[in-house]
Amino acid sequence: MNFQNLSIKRKLLLITMVTSSVALVLLSASFLIYDLNSFRHFLSDDLTTQAEVISYNSAPAMAFNDTAAATDDLSALKAKPDIVAAVLYDRQGKVFAQYVRANVAQPALPHDVPQTNGSRFRGNFLEVSYDVALKGEPLGTLFLQSDMSQWSARARSYAVFLLLFMLASAFLALLIASRLQGVISRPILRLEDTMRVVSAKQNYEVRALKFYDDEIGRLIDGFNTMLAEIQQRDAALQGANDELKMRTQELEGEVANRKKTQEELLTAKRAAEDASRAKSAFLANMSHELRTPLNAIIGYSEMIEEEIQDTGQIQNIQDVQKIESAGKHLLALINDVLDLSKIEAGKMGLHLENFDVATMIQEMVATLQPAIAKNSNTLQLRLADDLGSMRSDVTKVRQILSNLLSNACKFTDHGAISMDAERVVNGDHQWIRFRVGDTGIGISEEQQDKLFKEFAQADVSIARKYGGTGLGLAISSRFAQLMGGQISVESEPGKGSVFTVYVPAQVSAEAAAANNVKPPKEVKAPEPEPKPQAETILVIDDDPAVRDLMSRFLGKLGFHVVAAGDGEEGFRLAKRIRPVIITLDVVMPVLDGWDVLKRLKADPELVDIPVIMVTIVDNEVAALKLGASNYLVKPVDRDRLAELVEKYRGSHAKNPQPVGVGASRAADEKSKLNTTWDDRSRRN
Amino acid sequence: MNYVSTGQRIMKKFSFIAALMICVTLAAAIPSQAQNGDSSDSSEYLIKAGFTYNFAKLMEWPAGTFPQADSPIVIGVLGVDPFGGTLDDVLKGKTVNGREFVVKHLKDGADLRSLNILFVSDSELPHLDEILHTVKNLPILTIGETAGFAQRGGIINFVVEDNKVRFEINVDAATQANINISSRLLSLAKIVHTLPPDGRKP
Repeated sequence: MNFQNLSIKRKLLLITMVTSSVALVLLSASFLIYDLNSFRHFLSDDLTTQAEVISYNSAPAMAFNDTAAATDDLSALKAKPDIVAAVLYDRQGKVFAQYVRANVAQPALPHDVPQTNGSRFRGNFLEVSYDVALKGEPLGTLFLQSDMSQWSARARSYAVFLLLFMLASAFLALLIASRLQGVISRPILRLEDTMRVVSAKQNYEVRALKFYDDEIGRLIDGFNTMLAEIQQRDAALQGANDELKMRTQELEGEVANRKKTQEELLTAKRAAEDASRAKSAFLANMSHELRTPLNAIIGYSEMIEEEIQDTGQIQNIQDVQKIESAGKHLLALINDVLDLSKIEAGKMGLHLENFDVATMIQEMVATLQPAIAKNSNTLQLRLADDLGSMRSDVTKVRQILSNLLSNACKFTDHGAISMDAERVVNGDHQWIRFRVGDTGIGISEEQQDKLFKEFAQADVSIARKYGGTGLGLAISSRFAQLMGGQISVESEPGKGSVFTVYVPAQVSAEAAAANNVKPPKEVKAPEPEPKPQAETILVIDDDPAVRDLMSRFLGKLGFHVVAAGDGEEGFRLAKRIRPVIITLDVVMPVLDGWDVLKRLKADPELVDIPVIMVTIVDNEVAALKLGASNYLVKPVDRDRLAELVEKYRGSHAKNPQPVGVGASRAADEKSKLNTTWDDRSRRN
Repeated sequence: MNYVSTGQRIMKKFSFIAALMICVTLAAAIPSQAQNGDSSDSSEYLIKAGFTYNFAKLMEWPAGTFPQADSPIVIGVLGVDPFGGTLDDVLKGKTVNGREFVVKHLKDGADLRSLNILFVSDSELPHLDEILHTVKNLPILTIGETAGFAQRGGIINFVVEDNKVRFEINVDAATQANINISSRLLSLAKIVHTLPPDGRKP
């Protein structure tokens, strides 16, 4: 068995035994060697002394040549059993007398007996030579030979004794060591037991027993400290684990709750969407249903007004005007509510086109002249030289500005109204900044906060006094935001207000796309091809009242109006008469406006005729996508209609048709109309 | 071990043997009277002379015997000298305890008091008792070679036994002469006592 793999008990025992045995053997051996060596010296000295005595005693015998006496003297050596032989040599080296031990037959005497005093070890013998002299006169030499039997016996007995002693002490050492090794091995074995318990049972609560305060004691302390640490960590880990489990359960509960809530939310969302759709459908229906009669009310009250003026029955004119005013207010309200609902539904699209800012402002201001004049206000228009053109939704910009201007007119009496427009460069972005200022009643700070919120007119009483839906500013603000701009206000009650509008000079396609609007196709200018039916406008509408009103209004502008009652007929007429402009209703029996538009645009002969959609259905984007040139919502804003038809007539100005008179007449009519509609709140 | 040192050892051994041989040869060349135990006429007195020298070594005279530290030991030969000059030869140049030997040849009636050793020749047998009586209380070692010399009051008497020279010592006489004889000498001698003149034991 390998020593390294022995148990620590056996190792300790073995180490102790080997160490003590080696020490013992070395000690005994050195002791033995020393003793035997000194015994040899002693023997040598002893033999020399004997030789001295014998030589002294036998000197007279030699001196008197008495061999017998000398032999007698030598025979006294019988008492010394280790002396093998004793010889007296005379001066000639001859044997004078000799003694040989009884049991020795022939002594092994050396051939060369030293003549001088001294001892020597020769083989197994100790030999001594000694001078024999009487009173200083040399007589011969004494030679003694010892077989050192004493020494051998002593060595033997020593060896036996030492062997026995060593065996005894080894046995004793074994006994002591086997008892004492426990001092070291016991704590280690106990520690090992403890470790086994810990690793087998994963029990970190046990502790190793400490016996003594030595290295092993410190080892055990270290082990116990380690165990305590592990136990602590274990507990912490267990705690963390428990907590994690708890948290997981909590989380699972939470997730389940969330799921439930999510499902509820989804249900609620679906319900809300359904409700929203229902609302939109309701609003669309309602607006259609409301506009149709309003169309007739406003249109006919206008006609009646004109006829009254023509006939001079002035006394009835105010009543008719009240009817028209109330109808228009109602219309404005409906339009605002519709706009707002569209914005909120995210269905308000942007129709981007390039237009000249100054021109747009001047045209708009022109239509607002009556409103400005009403409260005896003056308008100061300041347009910067570098305004140039902007790319934006002109309808919405115009609506914002006219709303702000008409508000300024409304809340100012005998004051000054200003309108500034300039190009502002801020880094990479170019903005067109519009400012509308007045010297009116102003707005308190408190009111300013809710100014741009829906249905939040500064004061309820104001609505009664000044009219309006209270939605204008909210819609304007939403429009500005839609285009990436904003509206802000500075005001002091009693001194006036300044509204500032920022609109990007180039409303980006991204902004339009963000509102799910694709830029419309540029309206191609009508080809300068001579039209056989120039000055003819085809009106396609299933409502006879609309056909009648349109015919009358457009007729006043100098156009020849051809009306069609349904889509099928409209398309046929368009093919035949090739009108300059077509106005097209959407909701019609048999063939609706969309189908008519598609057919018109699919026909290469008719594709270039501008189509102005005139409808109650509010889907401008779809219409423009299908190729419509413009989109007007009923009841038709006459000014806008006039503007558009003039524009398309203008595109045929080079056409040698007798339009000049009609045009000037139309302009007259327009100004007349504007004065008639002076108190309108233009918000569409 | 290399060849050189082995050679040296052999050489040493040889030189040792050679030295031993030379010693033996030299020793043999020197005539040794003392150790020759042969008692033939020619050598008997050589042996006796040697013995006499050895006696001087193994005995002590009483204090004050010698006036000076290096005073010689005086030996007197009384009667017909049997040594024939051998005694002189043997003792010549020899010393005991730093003292040389002086040999005197004496005639009857000579003054014996200044002697230390007195050798009484056979020729003086008739006057023996007289002589011995004269030196009886003096510290003089008396040596004789006459049968009954010791018994008659002489201290040492040579005898020849089996062709070997031996000697008798009368311890009483030595004591009377106040001479101390070494026990080592006594152990080699035949001890005798003084007999009365009528031949009876005292």
